[in-house]
Amino acid sequence: MSPAATATGSAALRSFEAQWLAREADPLTALRERAMRRFLELGLPTTRDESWRYTNLRQLGAQSFIDAPRAAAEPLLPTASLSLLGDAQQAVTLVMVNGHPLLPKRINQKINGIEISALQDLSRTNPEFVSRFLEPLSDAEQSRWRLLNTALFTDGLYLKVSARVETPLIILHLAASDRPGTAAYPRVIIDAAPGSSATVIEHHVQQGMHAPLCNSATLISLERDAELEHYRVFATEPRATHLDSLEVRQHKDSRCRQFTIVLGGGLVRTSLEACLNEPGARLDNYALLVGHEDRHVDCVNTVTHRVPHTVSRQTARAIASGTSRVIFNSKVVVDAGASHSDSQQSCRGLLLSPSAEIDTRPQLEIHTDEVKCAHGATIGRLDPNMLFYMLSRGLDRDTAQSLLVYAFLADVLTGMSVTDARAAIENALIPQLPDSQVLRKFR
Amino acid sequence: MLKITELSARVAGKEILKGINLEVKAGEVHAIMGPNGSGKSTLAQVLAGREDYQVSGGSVDFEGRDLLAMPAEERARAGLFLGFQYPVEIPGVNNVYLLKAALNAKRKAAGEPEVDAYEFLAFVKQKMKLMQMSETFLTRGVNEGFSGGEKKRNEVLQMLVLEPKLAILDETDSGLDIDALKVVSMGVNSLRSPHRAVVLVTHYQRLLDYIVPDKVHVLSEGRILKSGDRSLALELEERGYDWVRESRVA
Repeated sequence: MSPAATATGSAALRSFEAQWLAREADPLTALRERAMRRFLELGLPTTRDESWRYTNLRQLGAQSFIDAPRAAAEPLLPTASLSLLGDAQQAVTLVMVNGHPLLPKRINQKINGIEISALQDLSRTNPEFVSRFLEPLSDAEQSRWRLLNTALFTDGLYLKVSARVETPLIILHLAASDRPGTAAYPRVIIDAAPGSSATVIEHHVQQGMHAPLCNSATLISLERDAELEHYRVFATEPRATHLDSLEVRQHKDSRCRQFTIVLGGGLVRTSLEACLNEPGARLDNYALLVGHEDRHVDCVNTVTHRVPHTVSRQTARAIASGTSRVIFNSKVVVDAGASHSDSQQSCRGLLLSPSAEIDTRPQLEIHTDEVKCAHGATIGRLDPNMLFYMLSRGLDRDTAQSLLVYAFLADVLTGMSVTDARAAIENALIPQLPDSQVLRKFR
Repeated sequence: MLKITELSARVAGKEILKGINLEVKAGEVHAIMGPNGSGKSTLAQVLAGREDYQVSGGSVDFEGRDLLAMPAEERARAGLFLGFQYPVEIPGVNNVYLLKAALNAKRKAAGEPEVDAYEFLAFVKQKMKLMQMSETFLTRGVNEGFSGGEKKRNEVLQMLVLEPKLAILDETDSGLDIDALKVVSMGVNSLRSPHRAVVLVTHYQRLLDYIVPDKVHVLSEGRILKSGDRSLALELEERGYDWVRESRVA
């Protein structure tokens, strides 16, 4: 199709193209085709691409993918759907299997004040409306996988928040396949009307042996004065590959609190592109990245202050044990004229084994004067002085070490206002932390 | 209670303690004084079980047990307490949580059940009152953002809660104003009993006006050069540490 595609000639690219060619036309085809063409021109990211320096996709490139099944072969396990919030809180859970929503009634359901539509239906009845959320197509290298998602997603969820909604809404993304070599393209659009507020939790889990390559994309659009607390929690199995793109568009005085929690998966790449488009917009982003065994976690954020008087906060805590690798790159861009922008980036890494690696690069790109931009990054091991202090008070080593690890994560955990979600995430964290034997040897 | 025999220790390859001999009996208060760099803090840390300090010789008997063979946490549970010269800040670990975990670790080792949460809180609050500490310190991170004096009070508070057999207080008086010094001394004195012992490591005689020691030792260049009663501390203040060194040479 294009020189780039044939030049790279990877099996993965050819299989994505084959998926595209097999798609039935729909009202979004023209837009999708542009996205697909652009994706093929760019090819798969390589470590020469700035934001992919630490993540090598050669292995992925050598595989071929077909569409993941639309439904799970086995019935849904109740444990999977309840694992994040339990029934303590009156949360509503929507299930998507490989990107296909399981909705009892397909169009315009309203659950607890959130209007819910299947994207496939909405794309047919109102393609112009859907296009508004898909365009403009980004040329940025870090959002390359979103282009592929735009081309290939067949269904998804559109959520319209138009009131102040108290009850959290959970989207349970179930990755399920009965064979290797499949790919899923979940798409979610969260559209928050002026003055509305909601909490949405996207929880990615896996059922069964094989997880499809998951290329998910979420768009959050916050109108004036809208407030959203959004979680994306990745808890798939060790062999799963996940490429997730999140785009946030914020208008006047809107508030977004976004949590990116990586607890599982073999290779998890998350990207966040946030644009603070009007004065008063504020984004608080928290990342909790846990690498263990031979996992690979790569988190890339780009926050752009387009106009004056916008605020962004990024707080990342990374823990790596075993031979895992955790990467956190964040970039703050302050456009020309966006004076009085206020941004902070704080990234701290905790290495729990001598073979683990954490890479972090806070970056600033400032095109104006009179801004307040701070950033800091530190990577270290458990502080031996803190450890000795606790031991000298009689605490056993395991307890002391776990307390210190929790203390390290506290800045992110305490930011979560959904207490049940926080408790569930803490519970899920425990088995992810390395066993004390490993910790004991490493000091 | 504590018998140190020919104790030598290295820090980063350098010999700091060069054969310490010291015996502390139950009910006694000892003061170890000495100039900067004499090895006072090293001695305190070695006794508490700091692992990066290497013991190169000698032995320490604590209540009939080989102290040096025990890891730090076991020493604490056996009733040894170190009040740190520079208490470390541990953001994110709740002060009251640490206190409770420490007390329960000790009780567990003694075969006792865990403390009742409600009773524990009442007990801690009572001790805090004695130390003139606001209850807000309970829920703050361990020593997080505490002033120098507040950290020292917090050390003594921990000691009062844990009720150790042997308390080693490493320059607990340094950086305290006179009011704080009185409060801290009162806390230490409240713990004095025929069954307990206290080792005060200090630079200045001033503390000894408030906590009167039974014995005073002068530590210099890794050895105890002179031991005596309280009058030794007064003499030291008057004549300086050089006097001890010179009198030894002479």
